[in-house]
Amino acid sequence: MTSSTFQPTSVLLDKGVIRRVYERRVRLALAKPPTVLQVEAANSYAHIATIANRLYITEQTANILKRRTEIFAAPILADTRALKKARYLRRWARRLTDFAFSSEDAIVLAYGSFGLDVESKTVGVDAIITTDFRLAEHYERRHGEIKHRFDDMIVNLPETYAVLRLPQVLTTAAILATV
Amino acid sequence: MMEKLTVDAEGKIVIPPEVIQKRGLHPGDELTLVESAEGLLVYQGGVDEKTLAWWNRLDDRQRLLAEDYALRDENLSEHERDASWNQEAESIEIEAESDELDLPTN
Repeated sequence: MTSSTFQPTSVLLDKGVIRRVYERRVRLALAKPPTVLQVEAANSYAHIATIANRLYITEQTANILKRRTEIFAAPILADTRALKKARYLRRWARRLTDFAFSSEDAIVLAYGSFGLDVESKTVGVDAIITTDFRLAEHYERRHGEIKHRFDDMIVNLPETYAVLRLPQVLTTAAILATV
Repeated sequence: MMEKLTVDAEGKIVIPPEVIQKRGLHPGDELTLVESAEGLLVYQGGVDEKTLAWWNRLDDRQRLLAEDYALRDENLSEHERDASWNQEAESIEIEAESDELDLPTN
């Protein structure tokens, strides 16, 4: 993947990315050096913000940010939109657990296909960005089987769901490799 | 952009001139070599644009406030910090499906 091949319109940032972006700012306020994960996440976030039209987070991440210190959290909430859950999101998440994803990972992956932006009335994203290398690697390795299962499910849903697709899953390190 | 670098007999690597120019590197600048799950990564120091823009928007009073809040955050134990980021985990069970929305039909 190169910068010319990775041009997403819509991106879902998982909770781990948002946490590290937040913590990067905490470290800056303390004039302390950030961790590698924090640098990776913050640099990826800065890059993605310049190329993607829409940055999304899950409802859980949005709710967590709303309870955290406003001075750090409010700008991140302003940059992003929280996706809502379209019908069948959880059904798809349960099927993903058959591929040995945890419930937490499965629901994030399911948001990638069934996450609903009520404002733009669009569903799903081009890519999910994560700090979890194992999640991205596992998704990539099982992608053929996952796609097969996804297509089997979609074909049995109402016609409006025919537009749904699987997202790419990329790590923050992989994003930086495209810069 | 992905660049392949070759290590010489003394363990030195040479960064291509176009990368030096693009990144504004100068002799004596420090880079950090990090061993990660994905291999060795080279990081340039400094603060990314988004974080820097956020910091530059804060006035002196807000920076003091941020430092105060940051200190409280840093003083949490790892367990407390993890717990605060793991609240409201979303269920995948059928019983939780009542909040799911139909797709718009237009």
